[in-house]
Amino acid sequence: MVTCTSMKIELINRNGVVVISPSGEIDMYSSPLLRKELISFTKKKISPVIVALRDVTYIDSSGIATFVEALKRMMPYNGKLKIAEIPESIMKIFNFSKLDKVFDMYESIDDAIKG
Amino acid sequence: MTKEQVVLKIASHPRYLSIVRAVAVLAAEHCGLHYQAVEDVKHAIDEACSNVIKYAYRGDPDRQIVLCFMGSPESFEVTIEDDGIKTRPENLKERSLDEVKVGGLGLHIIRKAFDTVKYDESKEDGNRLVLVRNMIEEE
Repeated sequence: MVTCTSMKIELINRNGVVVISPSGEIDMYSSPLLRKELISFTKKKISPVIVALRDVTYIDSSGIATFVEALKRMMPYNGKLKIAEIPESIMKIFNFSKLDKVFDMYESIDDAIKG
Repeated sequence: MTKEQVVLKIASHPRYLSIVRAVAVLAAEHCGLHYQAVEDVKHAIDEACSNVIKYAYRGDPDRQIVLCFMGSPESFEVTIEDDGIKTRPENLKERSLDEVKVGGLGLHIIRKAFDTVKYDESKEDGNRLVLVRNMIEEE
């Protein structure tokens, strides 16, 4: 478990697939921690990486930018960044930023593993 | 009618952004904004303060940001002041929402939440960002 005051990150191994599960608020203070975790996987060219957002209560543009950066780092090796269990309030931000068309999004972690 | 004011002074460290959001929610609710509007202005004020930290203070965590929340039956107004590098409104980065790139989303979020987004040019040193959301009947 990796933590800062406003966010915690739990790493789950689901049938051999990496699932990053942040909880709390992703903002300018906490997003560097999420970035560090994501980049550690992209450096190892791990794919897919699944991010489960079920317990995220807030995300700002720095959090969204963190996902965009990770996605771009994965493109050269055809890696897949899959986002699952997105709460309605967080989905609104993805929709507004039109990034819902860019990311692979799934209702559940199991769907993300199968998809 | 005199506008009710709440003033919040914070250091320019990102760890205080959660406090800014909490106060923004309370001030917006007190002003009578509905749930989605409260969420929108909270997000916008957070993005505006992040921009101050990032651009006006270039990440220096020991400077000061002063927020003033003002409510009236006509509007919910927020001013955000810093003593950092002067921001030129024409230089604000706003990416097209059709571009997939890092950065530039914050300004869209600010403009979605507030009807007026402008810099007070009368402030000589630093910046004073003025955000105004007009109250509408359902609020």
